[in-house]
Amino acid sequence: MMIPLRLEEVSKQYGDKTAVDQIAFDVREGEIYGLLGANGAGKTTTMRMVLGLIYPDEGRISYSGKDYSEEVISQMGYLPEERGLYPKVKVCDQLTYLAQLKGMKRKDADRELKKWLEKFNVMEYYGKKVEELSKGNQQKIQFIAAVLHQPKILVLDEAFSGLDPVNVELLKATVKELRDNGTSIVFSTHRMEHVEELCQRITILHRSKTVLAGSIKEIKQSFPKEKIVLRTEQPIQGLEQIAGVRQVDSGEHGLTVHMDPIDAAQEVLQQALSQSAVHRFEIMEPTLNEIFIKAVGGEARE
Amino acid sequence: MNKFWTVLAFTVVNKFRTKSFIVTSLIIAVVLTIGLNAPYFIGKFQTDEAASVGVIEGSSELVPLLEQHVNDQEQTELVLVKVEDQGSLEENERVLKERIASGEMTGYLLFDETEELAFPTMTYKSEKTMDFGTVSQLQQALQVIKVQVVAPTLGLTTEQVSQINAPVVVNKVQISSGEGAGNVGDAGKTEGEIAVATGMVYVLVIVLFIGIMVSGQLIASEITAEKSSRVMEILVTSVSPLKQMFGKIFGMFIVGISQLLLLGAVVLVNLMLPHNQSMLTDMNLDLGSVGFLLIFYALLFYLMGFFLYAAMFAAVGSIVSRTEDLGQAVMPVTFLSMIGYFIAIFGISAPDSSLITVTSFIPFFSPFIMFLRVGLTDPAVWEVWLSIGLLAATIFVMGWLAAKIYRTGVLMYGKRPSLKELRRAMRAYKI
Repeated sequence: MMIPLRLEEVSKQYGDKTAVDQIAFDVREGEIYGLLGANGAGKTTTMRMVLGLIYPDEGRISYSGKDYSEEVISQMGYLPEERGLYPKVKVCDQLTYLAQLKGMKRKDADRELKKWLEKFNVMEYYGKKVEELSKGNQQKIQFIAAVLHQPKILVLDEAFSGLDPVNVELLKATVKELRDNGTSIVFSTHRMEHVEELCQRITILHRSKTVLAGSIKEIKQSFPKEKIVLRTEQPIQGLEQIAGVRQVDSGEHGLTVHMDPIDAAQEVLQQALSQSAVHRFEIMEPTLNEIFIKAVGGEARE
Repeated sequence: MNKFWTVLAFTVVNKFRTKSFIVTSLIIAVVLTIGLNAPYFIGKFQTDEAASVGVIEGSSELVPLLEQHVNDQEQTELVLVKVEDQGSLEENERVLKERIASGEMTGYLLFDETEELAFPTMTYKSEKTMDFGTVSQLQQALQVIKVQVVAPTLGLTTEQVSQINAPVVVNKVQISSGEGAGNVGDAGKTEGEIAVATGMVYVLVIVLFIGIMVSGQLIASEITAEKSSRVMEILVTSVSPLKQMFGKIFGMFIVGISQLLLLGAVVLVNLMLPHNQSMLTDMNLDLGSVGFLLIFYALLFYLMGFFLYAAMFAAVGSIVSRTEDLGQAVMPVTFLSMIGYFIAIFGISAPDSSLITVTSFIPFFSPFIMFLRVGLTDPAVWEVWLSIGLLAATIFVMGWLAAKIYRTGVLMYGKRPSLKELRRAMRAYKI
């Protein structure tokens, strides 16, 4: 099977600054691939190269094995981070226009648009100008603009930013649906919980280099577990004295015990049981958030 | 090619639909209509009302002569109101002023004391400062009377007087001495035709300038708006920048030219109205004498000027990220076109000066200035086509350069890049 999108050791320089350094990943059919990184890590440049706006200095980007061409344009959809549509043009006019630019026929585009508006329950916006819509609804229209022409490769940059939880769920479901229909999706975001939910594989970029890549499961396994969540009836004393316990935080819902290494977990449990009834004891996997911060270092926090 | 047409159609349709476009077109059409008919109506109001001029009865022997002259005129614009002599000058003026205040007369004429036989000097007193019409009417009437009075004392008959007064006639005809560009024609141009041509050139240079500037600014601001609203991000991933830019430029060309044609039609219809027709005939102006060639050149130079400046405006629009910064950024281009325009306006009174000849070959100015030369003088065919050739070459180079800048500019956000940054970005983007 052809890989819809493959990047091979792609590099890009702006003057003497390296924006992207030897990035390699591939997106399979029906996969959502996460592209993570702090601002300035090279995500935008990577996406721009994927979209064919700028050419890589080194390496190769192939689309189902072929190089970039006119034909590829019509198979790609893009939801830019900085949203934008013509504020004074009617939704129907500009979306069919954008779809036409992607090589769709006007009539087909119009029919598809109606389907999507129906799906998002915003049929009444068909003849409205974009500036008349609320921000959240503009986001929906923008999303439709990215997918209207049924792209094979979809690049989503911060797809859910600025949306309320209900609409986030709606779009998330839609993205999953697109994936299940075989669309290859490059998904870039800062929001780790979305990545954990949607992506199987990710690349974490830091300062234009790949610092972590692979499936989330494997990445998580490669990071040591070092956190225990503990909830007990009575307060527990003396956990700090156990060898291997680095820090104990007490929060609203109990204690978080940071371990290094995790081997002393049983000791922690016994200590707790000896003092009180235990409601919850769990050795936590590192969250993607923690992995990200660990991988890119504290300076990347925003 | 398909996408080029899509961009073009979108540009045209959206422009035609915008309220501001419709409203401005309408306003200009209305203003033109008013402006073209104003002279007729103003003339109408003026002739309706004859000026009443007061004179003191018996203050001079000219009074009866003046009265007779005024009465003899078929279309009189003067009415004499005679006032009885009150005895003294002060008393007379007091009465006359009262009559002005009551609206019976607009002014009055006083005959100054003079020596015997000499023609008296007179003073016309009125509240108005700009009453030139009445004064010149009086002057004309009195001139005739003066001749009537003075001629017999010199022993001249009326025929002799009119022979002396008959004006010298010099007819002006513009001819072409060699292989001219053809606007003058074989028969030459008469004075009326020259006047029409000058007027036409004047109007067309202004229209050319405004047309180019307005559409150019629109192109720049639309591109910047696309950038600042970030639609550009989607557009550049869908269409090649080249098609996008030229689609926009050609679209705006269609918009611009259809607006011009519409307004031209408004002007034409207004001029065809019977009252305006008769006025033009009175002024001895025949618009039909405007050569086909002049119109042809006007269109040609509009077309070329438009594309030259449109390319420059598009390039500028593409490197600006925010609409607020656009005004400043387009300044150099605006100045360039303004220089050409002002040279052309100056050149209308001196179309043969060497400044005009030289600048008519400089591409950024030639759309205005070579057109002026074609309209007013008789440049050789090779001169005209050399100028057009240079212009075409420049358009080609500018289009290519603008496309390059556009391709780079649309991807650059933030501060307006300097030339150096732009060049570096071009190299980085491999454009």
